Amino acid sequence: MSHGTSGTSGTSGSRIFMTVLYLVASCSSVPINDLLDRVSQRSDKIHSLSTTLSQELDSQFPLMGRVITPRPYMCHTSSLQTPNDKAQALQVSESDLLSLARSLLQAWVDPLLVLSSSASSLPHPAQNAIATKIRELQEHSKSLGDGLDILSGKMGPAAQNLSLLPYSGGNDIGQDRISRIIHLNFLMSCFRRDSHKIDSFLKVLRCRATQPQPEMC
Amino acid sequence: MMKNVPGSLLLLLVINVTLDAEKIGLRPPGKPVLTMCRSPEKETFTCWWEPGSDGGLPTTYALYYTKENSDAVFECPDYHTAGKNSCFFNKNDTSLWVNYNITVVATNTLGRTFSDPMDIDVVYIVKPNPPEELNVTVMEDKSWPFLRASWESPDKADTRSGWITLIYELRVKLEDDGEWEMHLAGQQKVFNIFSLRSGGTYQVQVRCKPDHGFWSEWSSTSYIKVPDYFHREKSMWILVTVFAAFIFLIAAWLIHMNGHSLKHCILPPVPGPKIKGFDKKLLKYGNSEEILTALVVPGFPPTTSSTCDDLLVEYLEVYIPEDQEMILEESKAERDLLKSEALRSDNDSGRGSCDSHTLLMEKCAQVKETDIGENPVMKEKQRHQQEWNESPLAYAHKDLLSPDMSGGRVKTWPSVFSPLPQQSAATLSQTNPLVMAKQHCHSDSLFPLGSTSSYFNHTAHSTEEAHRHSEFYTTNNHPQKLQARSDLNISNIGYSETPTSLQLPPMQPTSYVEVQEVNRDNMVLLQPAVSKGCCGDGRIDNREDYSKVKGMSSDKVLLLQRDVVSHEMDLSKEQKINGALEADSSSPQVSTVSPAQNKMSPTVDGYVDTAVMFTLPTH
Repeated sequence: MSHGTSGTSGTSGSRIFMTVLYLVASCSSVPINDLLDRVSQRSDKIHSLSTTLSQELDSQFPLMGRVITPRPYMCHTSSLQTPNDKAQALQVSESDLLSLARSLLQAWVDPLLVLSSSASSLPHPAQNAIATKIRELQEHSKSLGDGLDILSGKMGPAAQNLSLLPYSGGNDIGQDRISRIIHLNFLMSCFRRDSHKIDSFLKVLRCRATQPQPEMC
Repeated sequence: MMKNVPGSLLLLLVINVTLDAEKIGLRPPGKPVLTMCRSPEKETFTCWWEPGSDGGLPTTYALYYTKENSDAVFECPDYHTAGKNSCFFNKNDTSLWVNYNITVVATNTLGRTFSDPMDIDVVYIVKPNPPEELNVTVMEDKSWPFLRASWESPDKADTRSGWITLIYELRVKLEDDGEWEMHLAGQQKVFNIFSLRSGGTYQVQVRCKPDHGFWSEWSSTSYIKVPDYFHREKSMWILVTVFAAFIFLIAAWLIHMNGHSLKHCILPPVPGPKIKGFDKKLLKYGNSEEILTALVVPGFPPTTSSTCDDLLVEYLEVYIPEDQEMILEESKAERDLLKSEALRSDNDSGRGSCDSHTLLMEKCAQVKETDIGENPVMKEKQRHQQEWNESPLAYAHKDLLSPDMSGGRVKTWPSVFSPLPQQSAATLSQTNPLVMAKQHCHSDSLFPLGSTSSYFNHTAHSTEEAHRHSEFYTTNNHPQKLQARSDLNISNIGYSETPTSLQLPPMQPTSYVEVQEVNRDNMVLLQPAVSKGCCGDGRIDNREDYSKVKGMSSDKVLLLQRDVVSHEMDLSKEQKINGALEADSSSPQVSTVSPAQNKMSPTVDGYVDTAVMFTLPTH
């Protein structure tokens, strides 16, 4: 009796074990494709938000923006070497692409804080909407950063390299009203570009990953 | 001096030309305007400008640009690829994520004019070409066709490497209809369009947009004609509709025809109260007091002193057929009273509810069976009862006066009545006929029902009659006639048998049984009677009120007998009494009617209620 029962339980137990193992294996490894899809969507959202913000800021003060806008090459992230055209971009390795994206994203954590803290004191008619959007930007950036960290963990050690791009602007964005607005515009334009870069790199990465969905790429 | 001369001459020449030009109206070129710059695939881009006035002179335009991180000025590399007034930047000259500062300069002989600079970043000005190879086909899906549109991405856009991500949009329009129907297709390159009009021609167009850029132009229109498919559908639906309408009509007609019975089936009529003297209308509209007072029926419960005697209408009538009269000749005097009346005359009504022992059963059975409904027997009983109530004296008188009338019936029961005339069979109590019937059926009277059946069983020739009798039992249609015949038969039978075969159920002389039912064997099943409502107190001690009629004297006085010898003897006496009132010589104690002899010893039956009898003469 005991033999028989143990025998049957043994086979069923091993079966259960295998099933659990399979489930754990399949569950723990979220497919990279899905991860990439998610980060791409997140970065797309971030860039859309930043575009809306910069357009709003620009609409109110077009002349000023045009006259005294600092050149984009003065963005604090301009030191990072990124591909300038398609040929260059397609030659970058996957881990480098990911690393670039992560570095850029990381570089904007502090400036976004500055932006959100100074948004409340903006002399802008749509000041509340702007402040809300900046907060949204912060949240999305944070979650994107987390996703990219997970992704880098799956893609090997080369993806772990991060370039530090410190923001040296400090907490102060200007004393008077005009300089504050100008500074704000400038920061937002820099962020818009960098978010576009991140988005492009991740989408290239998405189509380069193993078994991309045919209708996507 | 010589060198100065050409310079001065030149100066003069220029001044002359300028002055001449001004005379003609020639001016330097107007300011050109950069209209837009667009990149179709994020690898090259083109800028277009709008020239200003040319000032009357051939004007040349040049585009100069600078990049954000250097001051070097470059001129447009290609003015021709993109058409007139355009500048095309090829891949080598295009840098992404770099700000271009572009300026167009118009130059003519009189001067040059600069346009306003334009700052662009190539990645922000992406506007792809329209999608290509739009293909629309009609797909069949269970006779509901739909359109399937498929296309390809624009040729140059590199979606395969993920460099550009395009989303598509479709629009559909019926050829002569005004409104376009927009459909966002996302990143897929196939789209299905449903809900088509049969036989219509549709126009389909598609366009695309990069994830962060501008919508492309609409592709070329693709025309598609949807085949006619509704005719097949429509005919089927018409058929189905007609069929359903037909069935509906039939159902409606059926319901209408059977509406009454259906109504009875679904909503059975509520039985109303059938309390005597109860007014339904009073219940509806009257107040509670009125209703309650209406319920008090005069005469019930009986409170008058007449008591049970009045209600005790039952009595047994004994019929003696004419051929039997010979046997009873010696007691003809009494027999006259008991002469069995005619079968002929027995058209019922005169009968009491139970005219004879057998008739008793039959009637009781009948009454039982036709308990509730309108029964001619019951009606007659009621009538008799009324007759009884109205003129009790008359009856008595009649009886006394015409002893021959009823044909030998003996009213062994209540008051005074010796053979009743036929029409005076008002033996029904005033109360419920059913109760009366029950009262009537005292089995310990003349012939217990069981014994009668035993009679039937024992007699050979009675079987026929038994059958006949059974027939009578089972049919309620003509009670009168049945009674007559049964009377005859039973009385015959009764005489043919000796009383020794009688088997009496051991009953106390004073207990009453009532007919419970008549079973299939034509046996009347009895059950001990519960002393019911009829008469209150007086009923219980019946025994004491009854005395046996010994006979009738010549001066029309009922002779009562007092003693009770024995059951059997009584029965035999009963028999004889049934046949004719024979004087019992065993105990010739004849007690005249007197109030002193109120209490009588109980005998089996055939008793006269002396109490009633006593009261009679006073009236």
